[in-house]
Amino acid sequence: MRNIFKVLFILFVINLINPQAAFAYLDPNTGSMVLQTIIACVTAIGLTFKMWKNSVISFFKKITGKNDDEN
Amino acid sequence: MKIEASSFKDYDAFVFFESGELFRKLSENYLPVYKKFTESGLYSRLLSENLIVGHEEITEDTIKPEKVFISYPWEWCFSQLKDAALATLKIQDIALDYGMSLKDANCYNIQFVENKPILIDTSSFEVYTEGEPWVAYKQFCENFMSPLCLMAYKDLNLNSLLLGNINGISLELTSKLLPFSARFNPNLFMHIYLHGKMQKQYSQAENQKQIAQNLKMSKFQQKALILNLIKTIENINLKKYKTEWDNYYTFTNYNEVSFGKKQEIIKNYCTELKPARVCDFGSNNGFFSRIFSDSGAEVFSFDIDKLAVEANYLRAKKENEKNIFPLVFDMVNPSPNLGWNNEERKTLLQRLESIDVSVALALIHHLRFTYNIPFYKMAEYFSRVSKYLIIEFVGKKDSKVQMMLSHRKDVFVDYDEEHFEKVFSEYYNISDKQKIDSAERTMYLMERKNAE
Repeated sequence: MRNIFKVLFILFVINLINPQAAFAYLDPNTGSMVLQTIIACVTAIGLTFKMWKNSVISFFKKITGKNDDEN
Repeated sequence: MKIEASSFKDYDAFVFFESGELFRKLSENYLPVYKKFTESGLYSRLLSENLIVGHEEITEDTIKPEKVFISYPWEWCFSQLKDAALATLKIQDIALDYGMSLKDANCYNIQFVENKPILIDTSSFEVYTEGEPWVAYKQFCENFMSPLCLMAYKDLNLNSLLLGNINGISLELTSKLLPFSARFNPNLFMHIYLHGKMQKQYSQAENQKQIAQNLKMSKFQQKALILNLIKTIENINLKKYKTEWDNYYTFTNYNEVSFGKKQEIIKNYCTELKPARVCDFGSNNGFFSRIFSDSGAEVFSFDIDKLAVEANYLRAKKENEKNIFPLVFDMVNPSPNLGWNNEERKTLLQRLESIDVSVALALIHHLRFTYNIPFYKMAEYFSRVSKYLIIEFVGKKDSKVQMMLSHRKDVFVDYDEEHFEKVFSEYYNISDKQKIDSAERTMYLMERKNAE
């Protein structure tokens, strides 16, 4: 019985210190949350690829002695 | 203390007035977040980039923000709404760098100061929790992306849908209204169509809380999402088309001499009155508004035509003009009181303060013949706005008026200069009257009777 009260007390404290749950006034909508997570994953892959591409290009520009200003 | 009627949704803070001054009171729970906002350097960064309203700390939990004129998204032209959307995304992008995030992204939080969109809600930030998705993504899409897409793909006037949907245009409605071709834009397909479908699909799910708790998104992923949203908004552009007034000053009823004379008369009135604040009703692209703004006055440059306001705003932005504020305003269908208890959003007259001069050039014939507004209604309205009125009377022989009357019976027996002066004299003393050469038009300078 004492253990149950302990667990409930811990859950209560966790609930109190979780500001997201306590103070958020905007309904983010579950569907919107799911979709943005998917879009974020896809766009992050695209962004990573773009960053790699840019660093490869600048690496080759560096070793061939060209810079951006020449374009 | 009088609490601002629209400031009741946020637990973290509210806005109130005391002795005419504006303050924001922060809740005890919000104080650590506010501390992080200022101490992390986010506030200074946003201030240096002209993205947030400046404020002064009065007490530990009370700040005094600079007072700004409040305008609404249905009063903005396309580029103003687009700039407001981009400012919101830029703020979120910067906030993430400082370990913070926007907890809301509504279009009323952005206002224009010197033609730059700024965030006026200082308590819009929360501490970013690693892994959390952006809580305001849905609100951003419904408040900014929906009206922008509808304006660009369907009709320029469709941001006025926000008047009936002040919390944002639902993605379901936007999907129904957009043309089929908009689906071929991959970004719009995701953020509008798919987004609307997902909202519907998950609205009935029983385990919503569990789903939401399991969703994780790294900061890099969220930044990629924001970047994608920025690109999506940047690529929403207006089709090039002309409206009735777009080329008004190219096809006016004035010859060069008359146009010059009109400018000279207005310049003289401006020099005489030295106004601090001016309202130019029916300003078209703001040509005459600039006579006042160039003399140092702060000018609200209103027009019903969204493309004319677009041209006016783009010019103000390009020339870095700070004291002319172009806005869409339809005098016969003005912004009403809206929202909870009809108090959240206010009429234009409730928001305009200390206007010295109203300007109504080449306007009254449209009000009289197109909208059947009698002279006494016009005089009554203008006299509520300001002490002085600069107004142009356009006679019946004017070709524009002739065109307006060509397809209808002329029932306007009282439309003449004599009757105009008689009616306006009930509200004003006529200080000056000047005929414009070779045109059926007369300029008047009037001073309100019993002016304080």
